[in-house]
Amino acid sequence: MSQQREPAVAGLFSEEDGVRLHGAKCTTCNTPYFPKAAHCRNPDCDESKIEPCSFGGGGVLWSYSVADFPPPAPHKYDKPFVPYVIGVVDMDNGLRLVGQMADGLEAMRIGARVELAIESIYHEAGKAFTSWKFKLL
Amino acid sequence: MQEVVVLGVGLHRFGKTGDGVVGEKSVTELCRHAVDRALKDAGVSWKQIQAVAAASSRFSGGKGWGLNGNDVVEDLGCTGIPVYNLSAGCAAGGNAFNIGYSLVAGGIHDLVLVVGGEVMPKGMIQTSGVEDANDPEFLRQRCVGMPGPSFWATLARRRMFDYGTTEEQMAKVTVKARKCSESNPYARFQKAVSLDEVLASPYVSNPLRLFEICPVSNGAAAAVICSKAMARRFTSQPITVASSAVATIRFDDALPRSLANPVPSGASFHTEAKAAVMKAFEMSSIGPRDISFTELQDNTCYYELAFPEEWGLCEPGEAERLLEAGETAPTGRMPINPSGGFVSFGEATTAMGVFQIAELTWQLRGQSGGRQVPGAKVGLAQTNGLGGNATAAILKR
Repeated sequence: MSQQREPAVAGLFSEEDGVRLHGAKCTTCNTPYFPKAAHCRNPDCDESKIEPCSFGGGGVLWSYSVADFPPPAPHKYDKPFVPYVIGVVDMDNGLRLVGQMADGLEAMRIGARVELAIESIYHEAGKAFTSWKFKLL
Repeated sequence: MQEVVVLGVGLHRFGKTGDGVVGEKSVTELCRHAVDRALKDAGVSWKQIQAVAAASSRFSGGKGWGLNGNDVVEDLGCTGIPVYNLSAGCAAGGNAFNIGYSLVAGGIHDLVLVVGGEVMPKGMIQTSGVEDANDPEFLRQRCVGMPGPSFWATLARRRMFDYGTTEEQMAKVTVKARKCSESNPYARFQKAVSLDEVLASPYVSNPLRLFEICPVSNGAAAAVICSKAMARRFTSQPITVASSAVATIRFDDALPRSLANPVPSGASFHTEAKAAVMKAFEMSSIGPRDISFTELQDNTCYYELAFPEEWGLCEPGEAERLLEAGETAPTGRMPINPSGGFVSFGEATTAMGVFQIAELTWQLRGQSGGRQVPGAKVGLAQTNGLGGNATAAILKR
């Protein structure tokens, strides 16, 4: 059954041409931003030159935790609640990024290679609402 | 700069809505009790107070609950004095103390009340109350779902990887903390727990368990501070504020505040806490090895292992060994949280920085009974708050 998919927050990412997170980069100091920043926040940067930048690819799991209980609003989840792993990943593109892990706790190992995927995180009004997740390779 | 002293402190015992301790008391009632006690302890009347620094828990994203210092002043009697409401998440109490300190040190006022108190909503703290894609907390909760305990659990998991810390060692921090709470009449929990009980409590955010993180509590704390010159009128044994400092998170902090940060070039844990404590050391010319005991923000027992080494109280990776040797107990070489800490009190967010000042004052006066640090001369207090806030204060006798 195909179901309409919609990003949990509009404009943050897309999946039509592979996973792309829509952020920005300062071309002076090379600092990546996700979500996009209006100005460079690096205090050591001489001149803020922000350009749109889309990020994809993979990285290495820096650390992780588990949501053993449902987080409070504004988080949304399918009931009954199923605990999930939250990863913090050092991406090859220079971002240290937070996201849900697609895999279970037993498979987690700090230092493991992961790649980005767009998957549903909750369903509402007949639609699957999506976010980025990390998949172990 | 005027030298600043703590004249008097007071707490309302911490509890949970509906219990026999705090019942259905409002935050104003809790604060009234703590302020009355602090004024009495100081030997000062309300009408002598020249300004109030209040810790106010208004988070980003428009959360509406929490203390408003103006309500406390109205309840005590409107004398027309200035009220400063300070918002810094869970660091607000430390922030309020710093503003009170600064007002006295700078000679603006001589006698200032610092107060924090809370009637907490049930359950995990909701960090965003808006559907606004410009709110970093909203994005993190909607797109990922990362509650406070997972923030701490991520750091704890990383420490397990870096230093080989075990779940059992983290549980032992709680056992030590709850042992201290047995002799603290203000703690919400005043009963020791065994290692087996801690390890049998469910995970809230693996690897952290229910007994290893602080619940939310209702409670209040107050401190009356004044210039050293004025203190002579009230007491012969004031407790001196050696320093008070505030800092915020650095650009290269290890853990993203919202969805992502640039990957830092090296280890950069808890940059706000470390900066506040280092500043407090520098301002006071007191070093980490001069500290008799520390009250630090143990939202989770992980912080008791990570913070001391980052501040130079011990060597990196040494905290677990010191804990297991009993050196972090009140009678040890590096006492941490003799009060029982947040794990025993639960967190009434804005009260915490002021609660620490009360515990430091009692310890330095030698009034802490069964949890007394023998011969305590210098105490260090530290708070952390959502949004990248941290505070530190050093008190001495």
